[in-house]
Amino acid sequence: MENPIVKLRGYKDGLHLIINPKVSLNEVEAAIHELLDGMNQPLAGTSINIDMRPSPLSSEDLKNLETYLTENYDLVVSGVNVFDEKDESPILAAPATHSISQSLTNDNQPDFEQSQIVRQTIRSGQTTSCLSGSVVIYGDVNPGGEVVAAGDIIVLGALRGNAHAGVHGRLSSVIIAMELVPLQLQIGSYMNRPPVGQKPRGYPEIARVGAEDIIIVEEFIKF
Amino acid sequence: MGKVIVITSGKGGVGKTTSTANLGTALAMIERTVVIIDADVGLRNLDVVMGLESRVVYTSMDVIEKRCDLDKALVKDRRVEDLMLLAASQRNRKDDIKPEQMQEICEKLKQEYDFVLIDSPAGIEQGFHNAAAGADEAIIVTTPDVSAIRDADRIIGLLQHQGINSINLVLNRLSPTLVKNGNMMGKNEVLDILNIDLLGVVPEDTGVIASTNRGVPLVHSEGSPGAEAYMRIARRMTGQRIPIPEMQEENFFANLLNWFSRNK
Repeated sequence: MENPIVKLRGYKDGLHLIINPKVSLNEVEAAIHELLDGMNQPLAGTSINIDMRPSPLSSEDLKNLETYLTENYDLVVSGVNVFDEKDESPILAAPATHSISQSLTNDNQPDFEQSQIVRQTIRSGQTTSCLSGSVVIYGDVNPGGEVVAAGDIIVLGALRGNAHAGVHGRLSSVIIAMELVPLQLQIGSYMNRPPVGQKPRGYPEIARVGAEDIIIVEEFIKF
Repeated sequence: MGKVIVITSGKGGVGKTTSTANLGTALAMIERTVVIIDADVGLRNLDVVMGLESRVVYTSMDVIEKRCDLDKALVKDRRVEDLMLLAASQRNRKDDIKPEQMQEICEKLKQEYDFVLIDSPAGIEQGFHNAAAGADEAIIVTTPDVSAIRDADRIIGLLQHQGINSINLVLNRLSPTLVKNGNMMGKNEVLDILNIDLLGVVPEDTGVIASTNRGVPLVHSEGSPGAEAYMRIARRMTGQRIPIPEMQEENFFANLLNWFSRNK
């Protein structure tokens, strides 16, 4: 029993709500109501992505839709992916690479608007958290220090402590550091740690959730 | 108006008391007026290291509870002029003193003396907060091992949170031979993590043990590497620019090469 207007799909980076292009906000809300109320499992607290082709809903509508999802179903909208019109492939063929992330609260701005810049070293016992976006640290994160972000974590220094990116479940979040020698890394619900005695490699590295659902670390060249 | 400097580390046994005794003595030797305060209430030992145990009559607790004047509680050193000790009470506990009371003592002392050095207890509890309460600056003492450095890092965070921004490092008990063999962290590795200014490096010196047991600070034994390092640190504290020498291994050929390169 497929709903013609909205579909709910689980992908590697979390739940995706796929919206049919040619509908109005009211139709979408009605369809969501039908879809989610008919489910046995409550989704409260889960984060969700919205996928659609360009211009079915205005940014005003998107904001209303986000409020609707949050108020009625307690869902956290972690990203909106707008797909290229020319791209004839099914919407979710390759969500991570084709998507353009768009913030709901800042029109057409990347979600760095709500992000945080920290101009100091995070020392043992100190925690920096940004639950609305990404964190950029102009300094080091020392052993015993901790950084938590809803989005990405970028350390323009050495990351020697703990880092938890995508804390609300955004598995496309990444952790980048000039020197990546952490105690532990977490992205969403995945955790990993480097082998004991890992030495700094001398180049920037990026950690992300790889194909096997494990956190992989590789040389950071560009996004 | 003088400076109040807290000497702290987080971890115990890294040389806070030894450093306080030696820096206090060294500063007095280069003609500064100095008070050293033992803030380790209940576990005092700065008086023992200074060899002044038998002369302590009043403590900071007596001053706080107004049993005697501050001037009367200061014990004069028996070797150098212008060096005073304010001992801690052995009968009380650390939470018997409030940070404001410590602050008041420091405020009064810095009107009259050039340097007020506070020997902080180990840990991050009340005793540490009392010790740091009246301080304008801090000296972190650490040994080059990971646990001491981890604790030092935590302490730096706490001091910065308290608004103390002038924080300098004394790296204690560095053994050039162990560093060279890769068995000990070097100066640069420690600085890379802690990211604060280095005030000086004190090499491992067995003379410290004897001097502590005799109650005569090491700086009195001229020519010992530890004493020289502490003298250099004291001079830097008075604003003199003295470069930090690269630690040389005890090696005849290295010294010879060094001698040649200096006389080129």
